[in-house]
Amino acid sequence: MIANALTSVDISVSFEGLKALSAVNIAITRGAVTGLIGPNGAGKTTLVNVLTGFQTATQGHVAMDRVVLDSAPAHRIRHLGIARTFQSGRLFSDLPVLDNLAVTGVGLGLSRGDSEARAAAMLDWMGISPLADRIAGSLPYTDERRVAIARALMLEPKYLLLDEPAAGMSAAEGDDLVALIRRIVAEIGCGVLLIEHNIGMVLRICDHIYVLDSGEIIEDGTPASIRTSEKVRHAYMGTQADAEGEIL
Amino acid sequence: MTHRPSIFLRSLSTPLILILVLVAFLALATFMNSGPFNQVVIDGLVKVTLVVGLYVFIGNSGVLSFGHIGFTCLGAYATAWLTIPPLMKKMALPGLPEFILEAKLPYGLGIGFGALFAGAFALVVGKILMRLSGIAASIATFAMLAVINTVYSNWERVTGATSSVVGIPIVRVVWPYCLAAVVSIVIAHLYAISRSGLALRAARDEAIAASASGVDIGRERLIAFVISAVITGMGGALSAHSVGVVTPDTFYLNLTFICLSMLVVGGMNSLSGAVMGVVVLSVIIQVLRQFEKGVSLGGTVVSIPNGLQEIAIGIVMVVILIARPTGLTRNQEIVWQGWPFKRVSAATEP
Repeated sequence: MIANALTSVDISVSFEGLKALSAVNIAITRGAVTGLIGPNGAGKTTLVNVLTGFQTATQGHVAMDRVVLDSAPAHRIRHLGIARTFQSGRLFSDLPVLDNLAVTGVGLGLSRGDSEARAAAMLDWMGISPLADRIAGSLPYTDERRVAIARALMLEPKYLLLDEPAAGMSAAEGDDLVALIRRIVAEIGCGVLLIEHNIGMVLRICDHIYVLDSGEIIEDGTPASIRTSEKVRHAYMGTQADAEGEIL
Repeated sequence: MTHRPSIFLRSLSTPLILILVLVAFLALATFMNSGPFNQVVIDGLVKVTLVVGLYVFIGNSGVLSFGHIGFTCLGAYATAWLTIPPLMKKMALPGLPEFILEAKLPYGLGIGFGALFAGAFALVVGKILMRLSGIAASIATFAMLAVINTVYSNWERVTGATSSVVGIPIVRVVWPYCLAAVVSIVIAHLYAISRSGLALRAARDEAIAASASGVDIGRERLIAFVISAVITGMGGALSAHSVGVVTPDTFYLNLTFICLSMLVVGGMNSLSGAVMGVVVLSVIIQVLRQFEKGVSLGGTVVSIPNGLQEIAIGIVMVVILIARPTGLTRNQEIVWQGWPFKRVSAATEP
């Protein structure tokens, strides 16, 4: 176990005999961006679910800063400072944007007034204060994504797990996201886990990358080593190697 | 960053408007009814208390409860046990513990204990039920109602079984009922703007994201469940004092149906919906009752057959729900945005 890191130690998950993850070891370090890539169905979201208390591991355990998290429920995990976003956004669609953020404040024990103040400050930090009074269900896709990240950043978590935050974004919006993730690491000091299909983005900003395939980590290393890994090219890109070859 | 007034001030107009609506309703009812109008008004106010109580749980959690009228039953019998003269109790309900048999409390205390009894019961039952969600939770609350009804219909020496329990002090003045309705509106509003209320509405929208935001959904649901049980229990106790008689079947399916209808017609996700639903349906019911008795229009007496009232209410409900599936208030709070209240974002801000 590593200090200042969120680690999965030999995590295995089976669904009725089907192995979704087998003996997965990863470490998400504070103040760095860790990438997790792999084809659809590789088990990336399952791993995030285990790390955030939404899924119990069949074997192995999760440890944060050398402390083992004993299959705590999801809301307890958030109290410990591990936050996440979801592929589908999952905003509280009937509530205004400000309240979407304030929910985390009250969930973590602040008064409603303090939560609103923190939420307003966070929207300001993200540069989306004008959205504060909009009903979340009425937001366009890109704003929805930004609000989801702002919500996860409330009260400055130690670790932030982003599940495909760039899905459906244009190249320019992707650049904004890269800048935002860099700011999160630099100014808040989170350890960020980035799950993305946009390989270019992952190679650009990650300090360390894990490659998951069929529930197993088949390779990990720096972007440079992943870029040149024959194993990764073969397993992950498969038949798409030509099409995406230039990114790699 | 702009300064925003506190949630208390921003949302204050809603309960004030609802209380004003209630007062207007009272004035109108007093003005229109020449007969035994007190009973009509009192019934309406008891319904406001019950439906507002239902809203606290259903509206905030999004879990439909069929069981809350069970709390009404608990509240009604609790005040009966405490306020009926000891001599009558010893004959009718000999199975009660000695200290209750000897008690002869004023009705105000009886109502208070009735509310607390319902709340305490909800705390125990809710610890188990609030682990469930969705349709499983709804069915479990219905089972709770059936269990309460069965116990109260059979525990001869404590509840008098299915026979009427009489001798409950009758309160015919309007103000206690009005006070109770106002208190329940205030409690419901304070809950809605509380930390727990916000967390629970978030869980109603997106349970998974609420957990990921640190919300302990089971705990927040239990808080709402107990508060709503206290209010519906108080409503039950009031209802007992309004007629002086209780039977278990008064607090069963019919009352469950009418209260849920009022909430759904008004808009079940808002406090305004709960109050408006009661006001609108009560007025319709009252008008139809008048027509059943016969109304003189320009010399000819117009009347509708008895029983048409229930059918008409059913039709009214269907029409409202087709035209406005989210209820008369569209699940939003009535707010006054002008002076002296600062402008707030439209709707859903309770």
